[in-house]
Amino acid sequence: MRSESPSLPEAAGQPPPRQGTGVPVEISGIAQIFRRADLETRALERIDLSVKPGEFVAVVGPSGCGKSTLLKIIAGLLEPSSGTVGIAGKRVSGPHTDLGIVFQSPVLLDWRNILDNVLVQIDLRGGNPAAYRDKARTLLAKVGLAEFENRMPRELSGGMRQRTAIVRALIHEPPLLLMDEPFGALDALTREQMRIDLEKLWLERGQTTFFITHGISEAVALADRVIVMTPRPGRIERILEIDLPRPRHKDVITSRRFADYCDEITECFMRHGVIQY
Amino acid sequence: MIIAFIVLFLLWEFAVKLFGIKEYLLPPPSKIWSEFLKRQNTVMASAWTTMTEIIGGYLLAVAVSIPLAMAIAYSRFVENSIYPIIVFLQIIPKIAIAPLFIIWFGFGLFPKLLIVFLLCFFPIVVSSVAGFKSVDPDVMDFARSTGASPARMFFKIRLPQALPEIFTGLKIGAALSATAAVVAEFVASDRGLGYLLQQYNGQLETPMVFAIIVLLSLIGLAIYYLVEFVERLVIPWHVSQRPTEMTGL
Repeated sequence: MRSESPSLPEAAGQPPPRQGTGVPVEISGIAQIFRRADLETRALERIDLSVKPGEFVAVVGPSGCGKSTLLKIIAGLLEPSSGTVGIAGKRVSGPHTDLGIVFQSPVLLDWRNILDNVLVQIDLRGGNPAAYRDKARTLLAKVGLAEFENRMPRELSGGMRQRTAIVRALIHEPPLLLMDEPFGALDALTREQMRIDLEKLWLERGQTTFFITHGISEAVALADRVIVMTPRPGRIERILEIDLPRPRHKDVITSRRFADYCDEITECFMRHGVIQY
Repeated sequence: MIIAFIVLFLLWEFAVKLFGIKEYLLPPPSKIWSEFLKRQNTVMASAWTTMTEIIGGYLLAVAVSIPLAMAIAYSRFVENSIYPIIVFLQIIPKIAIAPLFIIWFGFGLFPKLLIVFLLCFFPIVVSSVAGFKSVDPDVMDFARSTGASPARMFFKIRLPQALPEIFTGLKIGAALSATAAVVAEFVASDRGLGYLLQQYNGQLETPMVFAIIVLLSLIGLAIYYLVEFVERLVIPWHVSQRPTEMTGL
């Protein structure tokens, strides 16, 4: 497996205001078949999708529709059975390093405190973590973790740990952020706050964001476009442009139009027997 | 804890006196202590011999087990070829091989080191292999997405992640090491605490037998706690999150 050389932004410590630093992502004809003994599972079938630079795309679908598989393929962590992924015009082969990833569980390192868990991103890339310390602190403060930088992961709540994971995924200013059900393990209130914080971070930096979720309203609240997937084999069933103003404050997400978007997705799932009454 | 021991020793002392139990059956603690003081030079010299065997054999086991465990964890070939042999060898009662070592290597220090090594080796290998393999796949995905070199990935992620389980093996090994040395000396020896124990036992010098048993226990305990102390220094993040366990002392 070939991996690209790690990349870090040149200057450290003084983040310039960056708007529109996202890269385009081109997914064409991706299919994934898992073979085990004589059992063949078609996880994904012909996924085609163009993501614009800086776009926020949410993928919503039931368990088993292959959305996590799709995310791993985009990251170059999994080789697709067929099809190609291009990031910023370059074909992905082997782990793509110019991105940040957040998983459902925070996957922090137990032996590092919160600040060092953020800086491990730099450390693993062979950069100088000390140069990023101030920036890590600024980002941690932005997600309400200013006083927790010296705590160990186990001392923090699930939501705080996940915030740390998000900061870790952004510290090196990647032009692409991949999130695999990042709020899946959190309670509803924490989810809502994280959603608001994530939108803020995205509005500031403008990195292309690929957000996988089970939550219909979460997808509508965050995304420019919602990709609706149905299972077995996973395929794109619908693509909804979400034309709602940002930031998506309370009056936006309680609006009639917001509810209509959610309805549309729900009905799409009902037609495919994903949701049954 | 200490009070409990004092009470136990006092009860023992008085029970022996009260019921008139013969000294060669169960000597009172005071007698054990006075006999020990009389011969402490002989005993301490033997203790030194035994400690050398324990520590030498143990360190040898650590030095061999951990690199071997890494090879098993990271190489499919080594795992498929060598690991089954190791698992098979583990089933052999190691103590039963001890007499063979005397035939092969004579009476000196070496066969004793080898027996201590053998007994400590397996738990350390097995735990370390488990430790090196127990990395969360998501953590590895994260690490791969940073493009980290294999060396960096090992030192920054795999090794620290494996340390708690490695230490579990190291502690089991430490607890076995004293037993291993004594057994080795039982089989054939002209020095050491195991040898002395047999001598005194043969002469029905029960107070000395007790003294040596106590001394051996203390040595075993000291080695165990030494390893645990090192563990506290190396992986404080793990030790402090572990639920309170049998660390009573």
